[in-house]
Amino acid sequence: MAEVVGRIRQANYVPKRWLVTSLVLLVIFAVFPFVAGEFQTNLMAKLLLFGTLGVSLDLVWGFTGILSFAHGVFFTLGGYAMAYYLKLNLSATANNYGGTLPDFMVWNGLKELPWFISPLQYFPVAVIAMVVLPAGFAYLIGSFIFRSKVSGVYITVITLAISSALTTFFVSQQAYTGGTNGITDVSKLILFGATVPPIGIYFIILTFAALVMAGSWWLTQSNFGLILRSIKENEQRISYLGYDVANFKIFIWTLSAGIAGIAGGLFVPLNKFISPVYLGVAFGTQIVIWVAVGGRGTLFGPIIAAILLGQIQNSVDRITQDWQLIVGVILVIVVLFLPDGLMSLLPQKFLSKKSSQLSRSE
Amino acid sequence: MNVLPINALSSLIHLAQATPAAKSFDPIAITNQLLNGVGIIGILLLTGLGLSITFGVMRIINLAHGEFIMLGAYTSFVLQSNFKMDLLLTIPFSFLFTAFIGAIVERTIVRRLYGRAVETLLATWGLSIVIQGVVKLIFTAQLKYVKAPPYTRGNWTPFQIGGQAIEISYYRLFIIFMALLLLGITAFLLYRTKLGREVRAVTQNRDMAKCLGINTSLVDMLTFAYGCGLAGVAGTVISSLKSVAPPMGQDYLVDAWMTVVTGGVDKLVGVLAGAVLIGESNAAIAYLINDPTARVIVLAAVIVLIRYRPEGLFTVQKRS
Repeated sequence: MAEVVGRIRQANYVPKRWLVTSLVLLVIFAVFPFVAGEFQTNLMAKLLLFGTLGVSLDLVWGFTGILSFAHGVFFTLGGYAMAYYLKLNLSATANNYGGTLPDFMVWNGLKELPWFISPLQYFPVAVIAMVVLPAGFAYLIGSFIFRSKVSGVYITVITLAISSALTTFFVSQQAYTGGTNGITDVSKLILFGATVPPIGIYFIILTFAALVMAGSWWLTQSNFGLILRSIKENEQRISYLGYDVANFKIFIWTLSAGIAGIAGGLFVPLNKFISPVYLGVAFGTQIVIWVAVGGRGTLFGPIIAAILLGQIQNSVDRITQDWQLIVGVILVIVVLFLPDGLMSLLPQKFLSKKSSQLSRSE
Repeated sequence: MNVLPINALSSLIHLAQATPAAKSFDPIAITNQLLNGVGIIGILLLTGLGLSITFGVMRIINLAHGEFIMLGAYTSFVLQSNFKMDLLLTIPFSFLFTAFIGAIVERTIVRRLYGRAVETLLATWGLSIVIQGVVKLIFTAQLKYVKAPPYTRGNWTPFQIGGQAIEISYYRLFIIFMALLLLGITAFLLYRTKLGREVRAVTQNRDMAKCLGINTSLVDMLTFAYGCGLAGVAGTVISSLKSVAPPMGQDYLVDAWMTVVTGGVDKLVGVLAGAVLIGESNAAIAYLINDPTARVIVLAAVIVLIRYRPEGLFTVQKRS
């Protein structure tokens, strides 16, 4: 078996070509904000973030075979953690409402900061919460559902239910979450005593995206990644070989939720607000679309799809409001005629033989 | 993407509660609340029935189900605003129209993806975006209103106790009546006709059915079209409850799914059971605490249920 594993790793091992491509892309992205205007820089930062969110979903879906509509939930939980921090520090300095309470709490008649929110006014706590909150939530759900005979479609239905339930919950807890509007008018991100300019946020996000890509690449090429892909191909066989499939699923699920949470946290200083919209099924599906259009089981796919679709939306938005229609058409065409996503359009020579075989779904 | 799914259940309860429910243990108020639950059961049953056909019989994850509901509602709107038709009279038209669209979708999209559940799910989601987009292009995003027939207005008051009335609106009765009628018709079609027998044969063993000379591809198309037609009827019946708008289908999608999954899809009675369970527990918890909490609790309960009985409550254990 060791030999088999070794051989597949060998075949999968294409560092040079991909390394050069990645470095070229990284340089392009690093130069981008100096060439493009501020609007494009912000847009690109947002799309990079969405792409990274797609990569986190890809880890559980494309590589392990668990389709989740709940990644928007993990994203938003991380986002709320950061939004509370920024909001609380805004009201501490601006003092608009006669106290340190955020505006929506005052409007809803809260007299003092709830104990479970007040620690978030400290930056380290907020940063930790932004990872631990979604990852912890994912761990709870994961240990509950992956240790059972529930599989496939039903997992997906469960994630739909989670997304729907949390949307209702966040909308209803107006005093604590800001209701439908979410947390708006947040302060600018201040690091080391200085306000971070938009270009700074762009580079933070670029670094994050690059780290996630490198980490995911390393993870999926390792023996661990091999087991994940084997779980997707034949779960039963892997468990007969003596691996505890549930543990692997829970680990990747939690890790992916943590990444999604960080993405959400970084999204807030960029987007200036977070709201239950990102908890909803519609946004959850949007992430699924990025992965499906880009190519399941590829790491560049989701990012390329997010940037491409985002730029299409941006340019079409000026002509018509109906860009969603175009996204729908693209999705149907991709599913019908290009089941492996846009990445499969790349010349086969460029992709390693083995990985293109392995990444075929189901 | 930026459409916040307003949840159908709680807004319906809002509609029903003209007078805020008293929190004390008041048998009249409780009865009324449970009667409100009957209205919710009707809606869940209507929206879930079509889904239980497409998912239960064909194992197709149809995420465009909500859009077929929306198409049914728009059919009624068009017929009513152009020809002043009674809502009841528009039902056959919306059934035929959505079933026709469903048949086209089956022929062009779903057919190519049999056996690939995830691909079907993605394609139908894409389709739902397309249908919404096209409807928005034709009718704009403006809210439209469909009038309920005059004879369904008002409340039915079976009896009064000390000035307090137990009452249920006629429209709610109409909804539950339609839901049960459709359930009955579907059960008849499925269990008492030749076509139904063929459909069940295809469900149980597609290859064997094919060997026995059943035209499985025709059965598939008719089944999918029928499921979509049911969604259309649901759309018509629901249309006058709230406004009609392109994203309206999304509101019903998740609830319809939960209904179908709760009851199990092997038998039609499962949908009824799922609708009763979800509808009544939602109404009861909403009475005791409040609507959003009720929804969260019910959804959490459904998750736990799926965890322990993924095949649903009313399913015969099969050896696979």
